[in-house]
Order: sequence, then structure tokens, then C-alpha cells
Amino acid sequence: MKNRLFSVELPFGKAPALLVLVTALTGLYLFFHPVETSRATLRLWTFASNHAVPYQKAIPSFEAVHPGTQLEVQLVHGDAVNSRLRAAFWADLDVPDLVEVEISRAGSFFRGPAEDVGFIDLMPILKRTGYYDRIVQTRFAPYQNRGRIYGLPHDVHPVVLAYRRDLFEELGIDVRQIRTWDDFVRIGREVSVPGERYMIELSDNNAGHFEMFLFQRDGGYFDAEGALIMDNEVALETLLFFIPLVAGSERIGSDLGSSRLFTQAVESGYFLSFICPDWRSKGTETDIPRMGGKMALMPLPAVHVGGRRTSTWGGTMLGITKSCPDPELAWQVAEHMYFNKAELAERFRETNILPPLKDAWEHPAFDEPRAYWSGQKLGRIYADLADDVPPQYASPFIETAKSKMAGVISSCAAYYRENGREGFEEFARARLLAAAEEVRRYIQRNPY
Amino acid sequence: MNALFFRLQHRYAPYLFVAPFVILFLTFTLYPIAKSLSLSFYITNGPKSQVFVGWDNFRFLWGDPAFHRAVWNTCTYALTSVFLQLPLSLGLALLLNSRLVKGRNFFRFGFFSPHLVGQVFVAVLFSVVFIPKFGLLNRVLHALVGTAIDTKWLGNPELVMPALVLTSLWMYVGFNMIYFLAALQSVDRELYEAAQVDGAGAFKQFVHVTLPGIRSVAVFVTVLSTIGSFQLFELPYVMLSNTAGPDNSGLTVVMYLFQNGFIAGDLGYASAIGWTLTMGVLVISLAQMRLTGTWKRED
Repeated sequence: MKNRLFSVELPFGKAPALLVLVTALTGLYLFFHPVETSRATLRLWTFASNHAVPYQKAIPSFEAVHPGTQLEVQLVHGDAVNSRLRAAFWADLDVPDLVEVEISRAGSFFRGPAEDVGFIDLMPILKRTGYYDRIVQTRFAPYQNRGRIYGLPHDVHPVVLAYRRDLFEELGIDVRQIRTWDDFVRIGREVSVPGERYMIELSDNNAGHFEMFLFQRDGGYFDAEGALIMDNEVALETLLFFIPLVAGSERIGSDLGSSRLFTQAVESGYFLSFICPDWRSKGTETDIPRMGGKMALMPLPAVHVGGRRTSTWGGTMLGITKSCPDPELAWQVAEHMYFNKAELAERFRETNILPPLKDAWEHPAFDEPRAYWSGQKLGRIYADLADDVPPQYASPFIETAKSKMAGVISSCAAYYRENGREGFEEFARARLLAAAEEVRRYIQRNPY
Repeated sequence: MNALFFRLQHRYAPYLFVAPFVILFLTFTLYPIAKSLSLSFYITNGPKSQVFVGWDNFRFLWGDPAFHRAVWNTCTYALTSVFLQLPLSLGLALLLNSRLVKGRNFFRFGFFSPHLVGQVFVAVLFSVVFIPKFGLLNRVLHALVGTAIDTKWLGNPELVMPALVLTSLWMYVGFNMIYFLAALQSVDRELYEAAQVDGAGAFKQFVHVTLPGIRSVAVFVTVLSTIGSFQLFELPYVMLSNTAGPDNSGLTVVMYLFQNGFIAGDLGYASAIGWTLTMGVLVISLAQMRLTGTWKRED
């Protein structure tokens, strides 16, 4: 009797009733315990922990000057910045107010009609405030598209050569004698031992290292007008020079394909030198502490005597998104984080990253000798080269171009290993042209 | 009142029961499928800006060398999966089905366990194994041959696919073995006894009793492996540090789809790749089922 009554009250039986009960209870729990929403007035995403830490330290001083404002700095993984930001722009949901984007990915956010680009144009405010003329000009290039500037450069990232001073001395290498790459290669061939020791860390299968040689020669993937130039004579010359450094019996460069083993390779003397932008110098200090006092820096060898002694590797932009309800306030955040000279000096001490604001380099922090680098004035070395840093022009197709160039390098290295110089120039030219044609096909079908 | 309630309940209860599934299916399966089909006829920059291009995405795909490379790599991987992985799985299953092997349960679990940790973990593990000079594989080879081995397993275009295949073998051989093991245990013992009476040796028993006995499972595992191989993504994505590897040697079709859709932002082209892949897998699976006579048997 009791059971019958129960079944009337629960017409679908006990199991569905239990499901309904569980659903109701969880629903009620969620209703009374909603996910805590951020109360921040402004949110800034960054992908680098060495950026996030100083920004977080700078929050109190910013909030003190802007009472009632709550700034939140979120550290988001580099790949996640790319995918989450894109999804956020598409859905117009959870878009940060300010976001730092890595240089090689920035161009892809400038795709489509200009009005659909998720960042505001900073050109007017940069001109109005005068910062435009105080920043290293070439650093705007990667973040510029169709006459607009979508990102504030975070850095200059000049490149020098870091070397094992102790081993160079042991091997009788006098860095003052190395003025050009030809000098460097000649010495490198004398001291490199295949499989045991290489003059320099260079990759034969990705475009990262090759690019530095390309930029140093005023080459690139795109020119200032956005035209593809990755198959021009400069690129070919660079390729013909670069490949014998990483392939064939006389190679002087190698890489381990992984940063995890870089420490071991430097400590063991597997690499005698490596290309070292400012950000990497800090990583070296942190990851290879035992090499303190045994390392030193020198400007890159030039292509020709009297030529450019640097190049560039990496970069970050800070963009203000169109979803930001208060772009003026967001600009003040950008100003506080990027142009506060005292903070920049302190940040340089912590990160070794040279800021693009030229007058900031006058601070004594940039002239401090560093024990790790055999007492050299690390900041001054980078600052002296900063104005000579070549530009990298942006395009929504930059990632495609880089990926195709990596393929060219890889196949050219394989060819050179097999055949040496025999027919190499023709092969390299054909591969460059084919790769560039592929990129042009993508560009040509772009309707925007 | 009660009668009306029971009548309505009788009539609408089935709809009510299937409603949750139908709603979820329509929202999260059918709509995205239909949307992706329509998107494949557009060039997009996110969902907001779309330009109708008709069959142009498919035409472009037809002449796209990167897509060709991705298809080639994926097919190579799929073929090795079918022709290397499955025989190994079957061999292991036969071995571990034998009463002569001691500690069979331990070995069964041991061979199956790599599958429990997931593709990403396996990829991380093997990317360390394949590190040049200091990696486990090079160290072992160094110890064997006596000279420093500097092989870049994941940096040499010719070695990337063997490295991926080796990793997938470690992961999937044990997994597929479980299917074969279950199938082997369901083969009637009396058939073996009858074959023995007829004078059949071990090989003949395998060909005439075992293989026909596990045929349906073998077809199932083959189709499943093929489909899984064509969906390869995580292993190369993690092992090659989010790249397609040197000279696109690790680029798979799904990875190419991901690059176009979520890095380049062209959901239209990515959808065209997705639909081409779906059609390709469908044709291959149907061909496999026809070649193995699955339908004939069911008829």
C-alpha cells in the first residue's frame, strides 16, 4: 500500500527521482556558491612570468595614483594567450582590457578588415604624448598594420654573442680579432669537434636562428609595405651563408632542439657560444649559475667590416583591446608599466630586458658591471647596439612565412649534408621560390 | 484527474525521457556539424567576418602542398599503425594467451598500462627520450656503439615519423592487445582439438581456426586504429613543441586543421579540411569493411 502510494507520487520511479534530486541539489549549491567574478576595473594578460612579476609589484603604485581602480595582472600561458584571446575576440566574451602578445603571433591578430581588429590604434596617443619619438623606431614595425599601431613595444631585444670566456681563453681565441662572420667561422672550424664541441648553438631545422642572420643583412619576410620578400637575393645570400654553418662536414653549429638541455650543453662546453638577446642573458644567469664569471658578451660579428654588429630575437607588444570600457585608463596602465623610468631601471636589474624608451637608458642601472658576465656592463652593451636593431615587419601571414622558411632551412640542410656545395645554390634558390609561392597563394586568396 | 495524468504521462513520458539527449545532441553535435559544413564554403576571420567563396576552399586544398604533406604523413602513420601495430598486438595477445607464460596477468597489465597515462604524458615522456646527445635513446646507442651519438630524432625530417611511430607503438600495442586477447579467449577450444585430430600444426591452427575466430574483432580493431590514426594530433603537437616539425615532417591533417582554424583564424578553411578528412576516413573505413567481407557476413 505504502509502495503504491510512493509510486503515485513518483510516477517515473525512484531512479529518475534521484536524478532530479541530485540535479536540484547541485543546482541549488551552484546558485548559492556562484563562481567568484573578478572585481578588477582593468585586467591585463601577460604570457611571461618575468613580465608578470614586476607588473604585479607595480600594481600598488598605480592604484595609489588612481584611487578606486583595481588592476589585475593575469599570467596566461603563451599558447593560451593566442587561442583564448582569439576566442575572446570572436565571442566578444571575457576579453582582457590589456594584453601582451608575442611578436611572432601579433601579426595574425591584424588579419581581416581593419574595423574587426580587436586592438585600438595607438598611433594618435603615441604622437599626442610624444612617446612615438622617444621609442626605438624599428620596434613599432612588428605591431604596425595598414598605417595603424596596435601594440606598444615592450622591448628592443638586441642580440649579442654570449661565449664561454674561460674556454675561449683556453683555446687561444681572442674575441677582439673577431670582427666579421668570416673571422668567426674560420676560428669556429679550427675549434669545433663534431659530436663533442661546437663553436656556436645554431639550429638546422627552425627559422629562429636563421632569422637573426637575415635581419642583420636587412632582409626579412615582409617589407615595410607588407610585400613578401622572403625569396629575395638577401634571403638567398643568407641561406647560402647559414646552411654550411649547421650542415656538412665543416659545420661549426649544432643545437639540441630543447632548451632543457641547454644548461648542460653550455656547462660541458658542448657549445662555446650562443646567440644571446637581452632576455636570454637573464635566463642564462638563472639556469646556468655555475658559469658565473666564466661567461662574457660580445657584439655579433658583422657581415662585412664596419657593418651592423647586432640583430634581434623575440619581442612583445602590449595592446589595448576595443572591448576595454576605459581606454584612457588602460593607456595610463600602459604608461605606468612601460614608461616609468625608475620602475624600468629596477625591472632591467631583474630581467636584463632593455626597454624601448631611449631616455630610460640614462639610468645608472644600465651601467652596472655584472659579475656573472665577467664584470661587463651588460646594460650598456645592449643599449649601445639598440639603435642599430633591424626592423621586423608584420603581416597576418608572418607565421605561415616563418613555417615555410623553417621547411626551406631543413631541406637545404638535408641537401647540403648529402651533396655539399654541388648544386646547392640552385637547390636553395628553387626551395626559397617554392616556399614563397606557397605563402603568396595564401595571401592571394585573402579577401580582406 | 488521475486518469488524465496517467494518460498524458503515458503519451509524453518517452519524449520527456529522450529530450535531454535530443537537446544536447542537437545543440552540441548536429548544429556544429551543420555549421562546419556551411563554414567550409566561406573564408573567415573568426565568426564575425565571413566571405562566401563556394568550393574555393576545397579547390585550394586540392593544390595546397602543406595539405598534401599532411595527408602523406597521416597515411604513412596510419599504414604503420595497421601493418606494424596490429600484428604486434596480435603477437603479444597470442603470447599472453598461452598457458605456458607465467605471470600473464602482470604482463597484460604491464603492456596495457602505457595507454592509461594518456597521449600528452606519453608525448612529454618520449620527447625527453628522443633528445639529441643527452636523451635516453642516444645514450643507449652511445653505450652500444661506443661513439657519441648526436642524432636529432625530432629535428631530422627523416626521423620524425619513425619517432612518432615508435612512440605510438609503445602506447597502443598493449591497448589493442586487450581486444585480441578477449577475442582469442572466445574462440571455441573444441575447434583447436578438432584441428589437432585432423593433423593441423600450430601455423595451420592459427590460419584456419584462430584468424577466422577473431575476424570480427580484427576488423573492428583495424577500423578503429585507422580512424584513430587519421585523427593523430596530440603526439606530434606535444613532441614537436607545437610545431609541424622540420620541413613539416610531423604535420598531420588534424594538426593542419588546428593551425588554420585556431592559429591563422580561418575557420572556413579548417572546416573544409575537416570535411575532407571525414570523407576520406569514411571511404577508407567502408573499403576496409568491404575488403574484409564484414557486410557479407552480416547478410
